[in-house]
Amino acid sequence: MSLPALLQETFSPEEVQFIVENQKIKIFPRITTNKRRNLSDSNNEGNDDMSRWKMLTMDGRALETMIVMKSTEVTLWLALLLKQQSKCNIIIPEWLTVRGLELMLQYEKRNVDRFSALPWDWLVVSEILFKQAADDFNDPIHELRNRIQDLKEIRQMKVLQGLKYLNESHLQLDNLGILEINELRPFIVTVMDKLRLIHASGQPDEEESDEYGEGNADDVGMGTMLNSDTNMSSSSVPPNGTML
Amino acid sequence: MGYYDIDDMLTEGSEIPCKFLHDIPGLGYLENNPGKPIKANAKLMLPYWLAHILAVVDSGSIDDNSENRMDDERSVPFIEMSTPESFSQKVTNAIKTDPVSLDLHSINPHFYELALKWCGLYSDKNLSEIVSHLLIQRAQEINNFAFSTAIQNKNINSIGSITSSNNINDNKNSNDNSNSNNNNNTHLLASSSFLMTLDELEKQVYKKSHESYKDSKRWMYQNK
Repeated sequence: MSLPALLQETFSPEEVQFIVENQKIKIFPRITTNKRRNLSDSNNEGNDDMSRWKMLTMDGRALETMIVMKSTEVTLWLALLLKQQSKCNIIIPEWLTVRGLELMLQYEKRNVDRFSALPWDWLVVSEILFKQAADDFNDPIHELRNRIQDLKEIRQMKVLQGLKYLNESHLQLDNLGILEINELRPFIVTVMDKLRLIHASGQPDEEESDEYGEGNADDVGMGTMLNSDTNMSSSSVPPNGTML
Repeated sequence: MGYYDIDDMLTEGSEIPCKFLHDIPGLGYLENNPGKPIKANAKLMLPYWLAHILAVVDSGSIDDNSENRMDDERSVPFIEMSTPESFSQKVTNAIKTDPVSLDLHSINPHFYELALKWCGLYSDKNLSEIVSHLLIQRAQEINNFAFSTAIQNKNINSIGSITSSNNINDNKNSNDNSNSNNNNNTHLLASSSFLMTLDELEKQVYKKSHESYKDSKRWMYQNK
């Protein structure tokens, strides 16, 4: 691949944003998409095909008909597009309110070793909405921003603490957001991979089982062969439970 | 690791103390004795790529036309490797006492890679445990540095290599508040002296994670 090395092993924040923009979000449309049909029905029938147009979303499903002020769910990128043309209001998700964030903050402070159940795209969605849909918030944005910043910092501290327990086989990342995982990925993957190799190199089973398999093949037979095979496979593909 | 991996090659260039178990004619130049044979029991530093093969290969089986070789010599390899300086008792003790302040780069710039090969060769569980302990401890510190340097450079354009951010700090010295600047400078000084002690692998880890933190940071700021 001709991608730079950094992009081969992780996502750039822009790519993460792109992924997240495919999530659904609720909006209040300010337009009605099927109104045109009524108009065209009364005016001229030749335009029938044109009137039945459907907006398509990325996953190939037709977009639901939008009716003014009737909440509907669309992908985030479409919502932002409509928002830019002031054709909709975005309904701010429940957790992205002063109350919701306050609850999460309290949870973070109470549980030193756990992360609060924020949605996986919380950091990205909040940043996007702050920037592009600032007028749809009911709470003052700077307070929300402060709380998001607090949450981010407190969680980052926990992550740094948690790295003490890095090992060669597994890592638990419950409730961490995609951006948080993304920025940690290069570090954790390289270190864990080296740990795995170092750990495997200290294990005697690989070479010995190999020798056993060759040396005792004729007098013991299938049993050891199978055994050495499983040993081989288990040592060459170690339990790598990274949820990255 | 790829065949053309430069770090792999440099690792294999690390010298390992070896003892010859046979007299070998014509190899005296290794000991600065050109034209003379090398004697059995001669001790010599050989690079890993040469040593690890000579230490494993049967001297008997390699050349079949050796009439003068005795039968009991058959199983004895050419040389015997002894533990390199990098994994000596002195170093492992230092690792156990304080992994973070250890100057790994001066011990061996390719410490982990060599340890990997060495452990693989001898299935040295003890050493592999010490090394992974070392890596975990130091990784912590590396991550802290990678993370905090990324945080300190809030100006997006100034985020660069350590040296360039140093320059910018110097420039800022003239007009910005000097208090935070001093902090930055002392921090950078501490970090650069720690960074000098990193092994090549650790440098890679530092660079990668620094880069990634920086990237996220940049994204967060450009969105404001």
